[in-house]
Amino acid sequence: MGVPFEALLPFGIIIGCFGAGGYGLMAVKNWTNEGKRARWSRDLWDRVMMERDLRITGTMRGQSSNHEAPPGFELSNPWKLEKRIF
Amino acid sequence: MSRREPQFNQQVLVDTTPMPADIPKVAEIGATSAPLYSAAYFIGDRCQAYNDDFMKCKAESNGRGELECLKEGRKVTRCAASVIKDINTHCLSQFTAHWECLENWNHRLWECRKAEKELNACVFDKLGLQKRIPGAVDEKKPLPTHSVYSANYKQC
Repeated sequence: MGVPFEALLPFGIIIGCFGAGGYGLMAVKNWTNEGKRARWSRDLWDRVMMERDLRITGTMRGQSSNHEAPPGFELSNPWKLEKRIF
Repeated sequence: MSRREPQFNQQVLVDTTPMPADIPKVAEIGATSAPLYSAAYFIGDRCQAYNDDFMKCKAESNGRGELECLKEGRKVTRCAASVIKDINTHCLSQFTAHWECLENWNHRLWECRKAEKELNACVFDKLGLQKRIPGAVDEKKPLPTHSVYSANYKQC
């Protein structure tokens, strides 16, 4: 008594759907991180440094090892403004 | 850091007023986070005197350190830039390999020991700077040759 092929169809659907979701997420994550692995567990220092990277290179994950910043970088530091509560 | 980080800021202010003309110009460092982290121990090795001087000045100036320690701060910037420039000149391939590895592995040093050893050897040969971990219990202890917990199998 072989297993009828209809019994295996749901497994194909399950594997296909999980595969599409997983690989799709992987592709989107890679795309948003410009082909690199995502940064995770970032603390305040990491976030501030990534914002500085953005101001130097112009892209979210771009890196540069120049010893001198591009012109105008020293005047691009943003101050966060916050309304006083008290 | 005595300043509280803003949590609910709606807008940012970019102050484009340039520095006064009487303050000598120093270019800011253009290296981003991963190259800076990769070069950090070498910057510390060459610039420790300047860095300590700057921190001492800040501690002794009663909260006016941003204005009164500009001279010391300029020395810190110039020294760090000189280290990065030297590493770029003499050890570019090892340096690039290491910081690209760091950037790909969430800036975790233990994932990139192989590239780090090559970079350390090159920098020590060419520039005489070496990685020392400040405040380590045993500073003479060599770096681990491979990492047991590393997920980056290419670097083990």
